[in-house]
Amino acid sequence: MARGAENRQGSRGASRGLSWRQYKAILRKDIVMELRTKEMVTSMGIYALLTMVVYQVALSQAGTAFDPRQIAAGLLWLAFIFTSMLGLNRSLVHEKDQGCLEALLLSPVDRPVIFFAKATGNLIFLGIVEILTVPVFSFLFLQQGSYEGQWWMIPVVLTAGSMGIAGVGTLLATMSVNTKGKDFVLAVLMVPLMYPLLLAAVSATTVAVLGGADAGSQFWQAMALIGVYDAIMLVACFGLYEFVIGA
Amino acid sequence: MEATNKELYDLVLKDAPYVIAAYGVLWVAFVGYVSLVLRRIMRLEKDVQAVQEAVERREG
Amino acid sequence: MRQLKIAVVMLLIGGLLTTAAFFLAFYTAEVQRFGTVTLSEEIDSAYPLVGVSNEGLQYERPWFSQKIFYFHVPVAEASFLVLILSAFFGVRFLTTRRKEYDTKSRIAMETALTFVALTMITGVLWTKASWGVWWDWEPRLTTYFIMMLLMVAYFVLRNSIEDEERRAVYAAAFAVIAAIDAPISFFITRLIPSQHPVVFKSGFATSNLLPFILAQVGMLMIGYAIYVMRMSEERMRERLEVAKEALED
Repeated sequence: MARGAENRQGSRGASRGLSWRQYKAILRKDIVMELRTKEMVTSMGIYALLTMVVYQVALSQAGTAFDPRQIAAGLLWLAFIFTSMLGLNRSLVHEKDQGCLEALLLSPVDRPVIFFAKATGNLIFLGIVEILTVPVFSFLFLQQGSYEGQWWMIPVVLTAGSMGIAGVGTLLATMSVNTKGKDFVLAVLMVPLMYPLLLAAVSATTVAVLGGADAGSQFWQAMALIGVYDAIMLVACFGLYEFVIGA
Repeated sequence: MEATNKELYDLVLKDAPYVIAAYGVLWVAFVGYVSLVLRRIMRLEKDVQAVQEAVERREG
Repeated sequence: MRQLKIAVVMLLIGGLLTTAAFFLAFYTAEVQRFGTVTLSEEIDSAYPLVGVSNEGLQYERPWFSQKIFYFHVPVAEASFLVLILSAFFGVRFLTTRRKEYDTKSRIAMETALTFVALTMITGVLWTKASWGVWWDWEPRLTTYFIMMLLMVAYFVLRNSIEDEERRAVYAAAFAVIAAIDAPISFFITRLIPSQHPVVFKSGFATSNLLPFILAQVGMLMIGYAIYVMRMSEERMRERLEVAKEALED
C-alpha cells in the first residue's frame, strides 16, 4: 500500500507531504473525538486520582518518620503505567468497535503513518493526565520536606518516559484488542516490556525530587538509558506495526 | 579432611543442601523432560503405524 | 527421523560433557572465597587469616555455594540464545508467512521458558546459600524474572487468540520485541544504581574455567537436542492429523 501511494504521487517529496497530511488527519480525528466525548482523559484522570487514595491507604501506617519523597517517583510512575494501560486499551477498543481501524486500513494511508498518529494521540492524552496528576500528587504527598531537585528535570523525564509508554503501548494495545482478554493481555504484555524503562525513569525522577551531590550525572545516566530504550523500542514497534495491523 | 579445618568445613557444609538441591533440580528436570518427550514421540510413532495399516487395509 | 537421531546423539554428548563438568566442578575446580568466617580459636587453615575482631579470628570463607554457578550460568546463557532463536524464527515467519516458522518459534520459546525456569530455581538457591535470603532484587535474578514474565506473556498472548494466522503474526511480533527488550533490561538493571551492591568476586582460575566451558557447551547441545526433539514431535503430530483426516474422508 505504501508503494502504491508513492507511485501515485510520483515524487518522494509530494509523498512525504501526503504522509504528513494523513498523519495530521488521523491525529485530528482522535483529538476531535476526545474533545467531543472527553472520555479518555476523564477516565484516566479519575483512575489516577483513585490511585492516590490507594497510596494514602498504603502509607497510612508508615508513621511520621517516613519520608514519602523517597518513594514518590515510584508511586508516580506506578500511577502512570496503570492509567496509560487503561487509556491505551480504550483508545484502541474505540477504533475497533466503530470499525475505524478497518476503514483506515482500506484507505490508502501508509501503515507507519497510522502507527505514529495513534502513538502521538496516546502520548498527548497521557501527557494531559500527567500534567494533571503531578501537581495533585505533590499537593497530597509532598507537603512536608523541601524539594531539593531541579524542577526542569521532571518534565524532561516525563516526556521521555511517556514516549516509550505511548510507542510500545500502541503496538501492544493494537494486538491486545484482538484477543479474548483485552485489558488483561495488555497488562501481561506491557509490564515486563516496560520494566527497564520504568526502572530508569524512577531513578531519574527520584534524583529530580531529592537532588543530591551527584544528581546531575545520575540523572543524565538514567536519561541516556531511557533514550536508548525509546530509540530501540520505537524503531522495533514501528517496524512490527505494519505486520500486526495487517493481520 | 584435615582435622584442623573442621570448623571451616562445617560452615561450608551449611551451603551443601542448596548446592545439592540445585543440581538435583537440574538433573530431574532434564531427565524428566527428555524422557517425557521421547515417550510421547514413541506413542506418536505407534499411532502413525496404526494409521498406515488402516490406509493399507482400505487400499488392499 | 534422521534429525531425531542427531538430536539423541547431541543429547548424549551434551550429557557426557555436563557430567564431566559436574565432576570437574567438585573435584578439580579451586574453591572461591566469599566474605569471612569468625572463629573463636586459631586453626591451621588453608584459608588465610584476614583479621582479628572482638568476637574472634576472621578467616576467609570458602564459598561452596559458588559451585551452583557452573551450571546456573550455562543454563541462563542457553535460555538467552534460544530466546534469540525464537525471535529469529519470528522474523522468518513475518517475512515468509510459512507456518513451519511459527511452530519453530513457539517450540524455541517453550525451550527457552524451560531453561529460564531452571535458571530461576538455581538462582534462588544460590541467593539463599550465598546471601541468606531466598530472594533479592539483584540484577541477575531480576533480569531473568522479567525474561520469564515475557515468555509467560508470549504464551498468554497465544492462548487468547483464536484465529490461527493472526495468532502466528502477533506471537512472532511479540517474540521479536521480547528478544529486543531482554538485553535492554539486562543492561539497565546493571547500570541503574541501586541499594544492593553486586557482590561477585571475579577472576577465574583455569581450574574453574574448564568445567564452566564444558558445562556451557554441553548445555547448549542439550538445549539444541530438546528443541529438535520437540520439533520432530510437533511435525509428526501435524502429519498424523493430516493422515487421520484423509482417512476419515
